[in-house]
Amino acid sequence: MDDFQIGEDTAFVVDEVSTIVKEAVEGAIGGNAYQHNRVNQWTNNVVEQCLTQLSKLGKPFKYIVTCIIMQKNGAGLQTACSCFWDNTTDGSCTVRWENKSMYCIVSVFGLAI
Amino acid sequence: MYFHSLIMDGSDVGANTYLIRPNYQHKFRVGVVEKCIREVQREMLSGVEYIPEEVPSLSLSLADSIKNRLKELGFNRYKLVVQVVIGEQRGEGLKMAARCFWDADTDSYAKDIYTNDSLFCVAAAFGIYYY
Repeated sequence: MDDFQIGEDTAFVVDEVSTIVKEAVEGAIGGNAYQHNRVNQWTNNVVEQCLTQLSKLGKPFKYIVTCIIMQKNGAGLQTACSCFWDNTTDGSCTVRWENKSMYCIVSVFGLAI
Repeated sequence: MYFHSLIMDGSDVGANTYLIRPNYQHKFRVGVVEKCIREVQREMLSGVEYIPEEVPSLSLSLADSIKNRLKELGFNRYKLVVQVVIGEQRGEGLKMAARCFWDADTDSYAKDIYTNDSLFCVAAAFGIYYY
């Protein structure tokens, strides 16, 4: 049975993923102000866009994408993550984006099959 | 036919078993994981106030505790990702969404939300089967 070689094509490339995420966020919520009744739709759009672009990369990975949209209110927020995986093949990428009225934090975890 | 036996200690987690589905005892059980997350959150966050200097280390230690407890529960063939979000309660609007590209038969997630007067905490644990 052939094993996958750990090469360029099968590694988790953080830069590539972070570009994909930034484009998805810009596209979905780019020029908008925080609106409570639209947040549901925005988070869904961001996450779906990210996931479709990531699956198009065609790499042997399972992906988890989480997106947090928070209104700018002077409050503090902290995200942390702890993972039990294979350091040589798996990776994660977190992108922070903001505009005048809201923050958006997107985390992507890629786990090799 | 040549089989590798599944040995239940940590040192052999990388060995090939050619099992593409976990048996039901080793499956990622959502109810059990949710209960575990809730216990850890209650223990570590009851009566705690949101203090900006302490929150980074608090959230990291919460994520690590949850991950360690889950490892003890015996999900041997599972890779675990635990994400913790702690925020200050100031009446702001917040929405968190997640979507995953995985094998729905074997992989799953569990989440829980804890709130008190000064902070809220969302913890999500994802389990990915390693074939």
